[in-house]
Amino acid sequence: MAASSMRQFRAMLRKDIVMELRTKEMLMSMGLYSLLTMVVYFVALSQAGSAFDPRDIAAGLLWLAFIFTSMLGLNRSLVHEKDQGCLEALLLSPVDRPVIFFAKVIGNLIFLLIVEALTIPVFAFLFLQGSEMVTSSLALIPLVLVGGSIGIAGVGTLLATMSVNTSGKDFVLAMLFIPLVYPLLLGAVTATGAAIVGGPEALGVFWTGMAWVFGYDVIMLLASYGLYEFIVGA
Amino acid sequence: MGEREPSAPALEVRELTRAFGVRKALDEVSFSLPERAFLSVFGPNGAGKTTLIKVLTTLLNPTSGEAKVLGLDVVADAVEMRKRIGLISHNPLLYPDLTAEENLLFFAEMYGVDEPHVRVAELLEAVELDHRRLDLTRTFSRGMLQRLSIARALLHRPEVLFLDEPYSGLDPHAMDILDGLIAQIRGDHTFVMISHDLDKGLELCSHALILARGRVVLFEPRTAIDERVFRETYRTTVGMGVA
Amino acid sequence: MKSQTTRAFVALVIGGVLTLGAFLGAFFWAGVPDFGFVRTAERVESVRYQGPFDQAIDETRYLQNFAGYDVEVTAGGETVRGELIEADETHVTLATADGEVRLSAAEFDSARVRGSSYGRPDWGQKIFYFHVPAAEISFIVFGFAAFYSLRFIMTKKREYDIRARISMEVTLLFIMLTMATGILWTKAAWGVWWDWEPRLTTYFIMTLLVIAYFVLRNSVEDEERRALYAAAFSILGFIDAPISFFITRLIPSNHPVIERGGLEPPMLVSFIIAQIGMIAFGYAIYQLRMGEMLLKDRIEQAKTQLER
Repeated sequence: MAASSMRQFRAMLRKDIVMELRTKEMLMSMGLYSLLTMVVYFVALSQAGSAFDPRDIAAGLLWLAFIFTSMLGLNRSLVHEKDQGCLEALLLSPVDRPVIFFAKVIGNLIFLLIVEALTIPVFAFLFLQGSEMVTSSLALIPLVLVGGSIGIAGVGTLLATMSVNTSGKDFVLAMLFIPLVYPLLLGAVTATGAAIVGGPEALGVFWTGMAWVFGYDVIMLLASYGLYEFIVGA
Repeated sequence: MGEREPSAPALEVRELTRAFGVRKALDEVSFSLPERAFLSVFGPNGAGKTTLIKVLTTLLNPTSGEAKVLGLDVVADAVEMRKRIGLISHNPLLYPDLTAEENLLFFAEMYGVDEPHVRVAELLEAVELDHRRLDLTRTFSRGMLQRLSIARALLHRPEVLFLDEPYSGLDPHAMDILDGLIAQIRGDHTFVMISHDLDKGLELCSHALILARGRVVLFEPRTAIDERVFRETYRTTVGMGVA
Repeated sequence: MKSQTTRAFVALVIGGVLTLGAFLGAFFWAGVPDFGFVRTAERVESVRYQGPFDQAIDETRYLQNFAGYDVEVTAGGETVRGELIEADETHVTLATADGEVRLSAAEFDSARVRGSSYGRPDWGQKIFYFHVPAAEISFIVFGFAAFYSLRFIMTKKREYDIRARISMEVTLLFIMLTMATGILWTKAAWGVWWDWEPRLTTYFIMTLLVIAYFVLRNSVEDEERRALYAAAFSILGFIDAPISFFITRLIPSNHPVIERGGLEPPMLVSFIIAQIGMIAFGYAIYQLRMGEMLLKDRIEQAKTQLER
């Protein structure tokens, strides 16, 4: 009887994906939430007139949408496990807790990236019509998306594992998540902004922002990975 | 795979304590259970029965003391131990958006069961859910969920089975199936069952344990129990109410 | 137990005396120097206000500080402009082109003072003595909290959880102090109450982290789980805070940066005393709370003993 970590990891990831594809619950709610955010953006900016360049604020608006959408998704993903006591069943099986962590993080990451990939064209369609875009620097955007989403998924999974067991749930997750993810957000918005605006200094700013994103990812993922074991069993 | 002497106990608990601050969920619990025994655990709410099971199934860590299942320490050899124990809880511990078959296959993968499909099919038949194997468990009745849960617990052929009020909420048919299954595997498995049903618990057990306020009130092999005295003790401890 | 409470009270008294002493020293002894070696980018040359200003005054007594400045006084419907000679609660004296004019406070409506710079005693700078030590202490205690949290996770001993929580309480106190003094300083130095300036923002984030800690604690029922979760978050927060602070170096800041080390003796002494005072203060609060917690514990234990 061999239960290699890889096998368990794949089984857990596959389970999450199958369940999600079947119900489309997370993707639908996250996608629609993103869309609703766009509507609110329109209203929020409707009085600003045409004096400002939407490219300047695009990065911030996008990541704002991603942050709140991801909190929604993280919550749901963990609620699934808690519902029928399934997390307990997982903890009973001979699986190393960090493997559970990574399976959950990767699962959340995938869903988040899907929603982001769908949101960006919609955003561009709605707000960036007629703006000049430098295609060469645009190609860097996927990099920021992945980098930022890794951090969000990593820290978010740990925090959601905790928040799902509290009486505040969504609110507690937001309270814990936003202050912690602030540096990541700053780096991601800086980098994304540079990529969208383009230009000669863009590359320098981009890579500075990315450096912070990657730095944050490495440090916080390590910390989350280390702490998960103690949190999930409680 | 640790070898142990043939007469070694299946369960060995020594001054097991689980406390945080002044509140003690388990207070120096000690007992020893031989192999192939059936232990019924009784006690009022909050006595620590579920906590005991959780510690023995590695879901919780003890604060002090020792517990060994099949010679393996619940803390040090946790991963190894999980391969050889199973838990049937009053929660079905199943994913509602997966089919019965998918649920079992998933857990089979997690336990590293050889030839998972064969084993899953075998168990689905044993719990009489073969005809519903492609249905989402979200559509199952409570009794069916519990039956499937039994199948899940037996996937990896555990040597020790823990049951936390398994009969609660079951319809008579499901109860029969459970009885049948237990009878079938009784021979070469060790059981630890929490039950609020005194009759059922006494009927099945080879050893009985009464817990109250985290302490052992009584631990006896069935043969040494005078039923009247036992019922009296049971009544008084359970009558003590919440610990 | 008694000795601990005594120690705490002694520390509290010492802390209070020292802090108060530093305050007084700051006001009187350290004088009104030009805190010139503190450089801030762009907005002010030094923390002593410089630069053109145009100030509206509506009571004569407020004009006292502006002797020698160009003022325009509106009184009884008329406007008189000249250099201010003196002013107090009852009258204002100006030197106009037509000679000295003395106006009574009764007739006084309003005045405007214009100038290119003024050397008003810079009370704003005084806050420095409290703001910086408070900020420093808040970080240190935050670190202690993370340390105790780590110990708790490693040992699961409840005493570490208690220490961690109390440390966070003390951190919260000092953070509030820092924020309050910081906001006052912002107003005094730059004329605005708040600015989304990087260092302020990241300190605000730290405030949120500490508040979040208590929100988390309050929302978990089970004791051990609560302690574990809080410990994990405290550690994450402590790792996050420096990252947040270093990231601000990316962004140009208006926040005062010490260019040259060395404070003049009166100021240095005041500063150090304030530091020590703050530390003692923090320690005192910590100990008092600890004593309270331990006492609570003993009562709980006694209660449980009686129940059995």
